[in-house]
Amino acid sequence: MNWLTEPFQAEFMQRALLATIIIGIVAPVVGTWVVLRRMANLGDAMSHGTLAGVGLAYAAGVNVLFGAMGAGVLIAALLLWFSTNRRLGQETVIAVLGTAFFAIGVVVISRLDTGVALTHFLFGRVLTVTWGDIWLNLALGGAAVLVVSALFNELRLASFDHVQAEQVGVHVELVQAILVLLLAVVVVISLRAVGTIMAVTMLVTPAASARLLARNLRQMTLLGVVFGVGEGVGGLLVSYHLSSSPGATIGLVAAAVFAVTFAITLPRRMPHHHRPFG
Amino acid sequence: MSTPILEVENLGVKYGSHHGAHHGRSDALYDVSFEVRRGELVGVIGPNGAGKSTMFKAICGLVNHSGVVEVNGVHCHDRTDRMDLAYIPQRNDSDLTFPITVGELVLAGRRRFNSWWQRPAAADRAAADDALHKVLLGGTESCSLTELSGGQLQRAYLARALAQQASVVLLDESLSGVDEPTTAELFEVFNTLSADGTAMLVATHDLALARRRFKRCLAINGTLRGDGTPEQTLSPNILDATFGSLGRS
Repeated sequence: MNWLTEPFQAEFMQRALLATIIIGIVAPVVGTWVVLRRMANLGDAMSHGTLAGVGLAYAAGVNVLFGAMGAGVLIAALLLWFSTNRRLGQETVIAVLGTAFFAIGVVVISRLDTGVALTHFLFGRVLTVTWGDIWLNLALGGAAVLVVSALFNELRLASFDHVQAEQVGVHVELVQAILVLLLAVVVVISLRAVGTIMAVTMLVTPAASARLLARNLRQMTLLGVVFGVGEGVGGLLVSYHLSSSPGATIGLVAAAVFAVTFAITLPRRMPHHHRPFG
Repeated sequence: MSTPILEVENLGVKYGSHHGAHHGRSDALYDVSFEVRRGELVGVIGPNGAGKSTMFKAICGLVNHSGVVEVNGVHCHDRTDRMDLAYIPQRNDSDLTFPITVGELVLAGRRRFNSWWQRPAAADRAAADDALHKVLLGGTESCSLTELSGGQLQRAYLARALAQQASVVLLDESLSGVDEPTTAELFEVFNTLSADGTAMLVATHDLALARRRFKRCLAINGTLRGDGTPEQTLSPNILDATFGSLGRS
């Protein structure tokens, strides 16, 4: 029991715990749709690409979360614009934008003469989270959960069958644009805790584990949140006791849960469970 | 004779263009004109790539097109004018592992009666339940789509169209790869719906099926090649124009 409570005696660990719980809730709520719509690549590019905003904001002395949000919105806008070019697949545009913004971030941070390590931004520093960060994350994360909740039916219709959704009055492209912005929000609130490299972990992995188990969307969302919070807090505890990087340890715990879930659900997905047409 | 529920006039679609169609080699579809009356069950025949799906999508406003589409006497300008139409795409277009139940799928048809912020009301649930019973799928509300057979899945999509209260249902190759008993079962449902006044257009490339099951067929290959009873539409001349040498074999 002491193993569980002792780490959280210090205030900086309590702040880290709160930050992790917020991410654990918000990331799978949005991540559910990212997984269902097979947008994980976009999440990956977005999490890497926000490094540009982080670096520029740090150089300008502004809160890096604002910089990350700006970069996320810019990536989303450019993605929507470039994707209208029919010669390029969306995957290509995502790869170009993600690496370009990531490169900007690396160049800017490597030119800074402040002694700050690039790895702080890449893998996060959850132990340095401030109360200001927590309030900002709470506001952004709360807004993201409210938006998903309000658009739940629209997201379901647009994600399952966009043709029929358009027919019955859903603005499918608007729903997609809002989802991309929500994705940027999740990346921003994950930055301090897990960093730009690992932000996509919390977005995708808990939701992917939930996808393997859930029978319906509500189940998937709730299970994703349970996994997200459990993996975040579990990873934080393990990292404290092993003195390992919190962001990377959370990522490893999430991956381990996914592996176990995949193994447990393997028999259910065997071919004989699919009934033939007829 | 009742007034037409669906009127299509000079419908055209161009390949790879955001503009209307003109005659030419790049036309996916040109000069298609026909009318369908309430309760009609019409087979749409043509080989793969003939433009059947394109025609359905154009009628529903899902692809840019030229020409006129009128539903129930109302000229369709955009998609909101076409909510009286339901398009059921080829079944391999959908991800059947998506975590959605049969009940939720059918309830999706009710979205046209609600705004984006509204949750489905009791009346919507009752309509969805009624639609499921009409297609003989009562009691499957909580099933996932992977638990349904191919025929049941098509009936679930039909129930969604019914819940949508669509006057015209367009079924795209719904009968491909479906065995004979399931085909018979589906036609039982088609006939019930058409007796209730729903007009149905069913695309198929199975000529034997078209001959047996429909009273009227449209032959499509780039444009309308024939429109009439199966005997008329499946005559050698029209078959030649629609299928080339394949149609005669």
